[in-house]
Amino acid sequence: MSKTYSLTLTIKRYDPERSVSWFQTYRLEAGPILRFVDLFRKINVELDATLAWASSCEHAQCGSCSVNINGRPMLACELLVENAVALFGVTEFKITPVSVAPVVRDLVVDWEKAYERVHRSKPYLIKPKKLPPGMTGFRISPAELSRYEEATRCINCFCCAEACISGNRNFIGPNAAMASIVRMMDPREEGKDERLNLLYSEEGIYRCHTSKACSHVCPKKIDVAHFLALAKEGAF
Amino acid sequence: MRLEEESQGISAPLWPILEKMPFLSRYAKTRGWYYVISWLHRFSGIWLFIALLVHLYTLSSLQTPDVFLSDMKISIQPTFLFLAWASSLVVGFHGLNGCRLILYELFGRRNDAEMTRWVFGLSTGYAAMVGLMMIMENQQASAFFFWLIAFFTGAILAYVVASRIWKRRHSLLWKLQRISGAFLLITVPAYLLFWFLNPGEANGTHETILWIENVFTRLVFLSVAISAIYHAGYGLFSIAADYLPSRITKTGMTALITVVMTVVAVFAFRLILCV
Repeated sequence: MSKTYSLTLTIKRYDPERSVSWFQTYRLEAGPILRFVDLFRKINVELDATLAWASSCEHAQCGSCSVNINGRPMLACELLVENAVALFGVTEFKITPVSVAPVVRDLVVDWEKAYERVHRSKPYLIKPKKLPPGMTGFRISPAELSRYEEATRCINCFCCAEACISGNRNFIGPNAAMASIVRMMDPREEGKDERLNLLYSEEGIYRCHTSKACSHVCPKKIDVAHFLALAKEGAF
Repeated sequence: MRLEEESQGISAPLWPILEKMPFLSRYAKTRGWYYVISWLHRFSGIWLFIALLVHLYTLSSLQTPDVFLSDMKISIQPTFLFLAWASSLVVGFHGLNGCRLILYELFGRRNDAEMTRWVFGLSTGYAAMVGLMMIMENQQASAFFFWLIAFFTGAILAYVVASRIWKRRHSLLWKLQRISGAFLLITVPAYLLFWFLNPGEANGTHETILWIENVFTRLVFLSVAISAIYHAGYGLFSIAADYLPSRITKTGMTALITVVMTVVAVFAFRLILCV
């Protein structure tokens, strides 16, 4: 018979109609392999239907369920109860919304605002190289691809931006910077000057101090700090 | 998620201690050990800037020998000596951690856990060396020879870093921060060590003035002062640029930092050139 945990979740609530925020505590019993999104759902069904939270794919692919759990940005759809207890050594969890975007209600934030940073870094080829005559597509060698393939796993959950030592006021953010760095490393990209203007600016990589919190919290295990360091080294 | 990673790397031997420290353990768990080190780097930098101001103030009394000698008497009090020794630990940590960052960011070194162990090991070794000099007192060394070695080692390191980044499209100020850091990595610990070769009363006004009057050491002290003041100024600007919310407050803070650093630089220049 699997173990059951007695959990205490203290969740930051926000009511936009009254512009009031407060902490609300919920006590619930949960099995070890329930995820935090399951806990939120359990709260909605059993304790409080008004708690608002966000999720979409619930398979750690969309990044819409990012929240701070005991101060650490994490995907609520990926964190199992037993892993959370093992990681923090407690059964009491304080859950707050991420601060990379304005809060809409409770744990739901305006992801469009957060995505504005990524859009500014142009996560596409600005000026693709012309195809060689007679070719219908580009061939990127496995060696070239292996240099940046890891970074393409980024799901823009903004956990890195949330954890960053520079905060997220003046820095475009590790994920947005990395989106541009990946395209700098892409042999098909010719619009590199435009990318460097953003990367080598006061809101670009000069705000990165290699605290490596981004790599530490990344749910996709991307060594984000490595890619930002490549930009500092100019090793595109 | 792979929880085993939480207990690997540099934090593994320190984990049981860190877990007992309420403030640090929170950040080590939620942001990682390097995040804690980054904050230590900032705090140590601020400590060193304050230490620089105190040192310049003490040296300013060189022009009135009686005051200088009485300041020197204060400087051999146990509390002052302990603070000076603690500063050597801070100097070692800040310099070596800066070196780790330069190696990581500009030279592609990714063995960060090993480099961090070296940072803490060498910092402790350096502080022990300074402590030994303090205890032994009155070691004789040629100021010219000492600074010849220290200055050129620092200059070579600065050149190595400069040659790595000079042609990159980085901002000039950012490049100079790295280059000055490499120079200071050798010269600041050397300066502190040099100062404690002869601590206390034996190191009187006359001998101190003789060091500074030598043209070469004067040039060395000037270059160290310029580098240290620039490095501190950019460091403070960088912290302000991270957190200040509006363009107006950032501009205001930048202006304030520039004014303070200019005043400190003028003060240091007068001190070195007019003694």
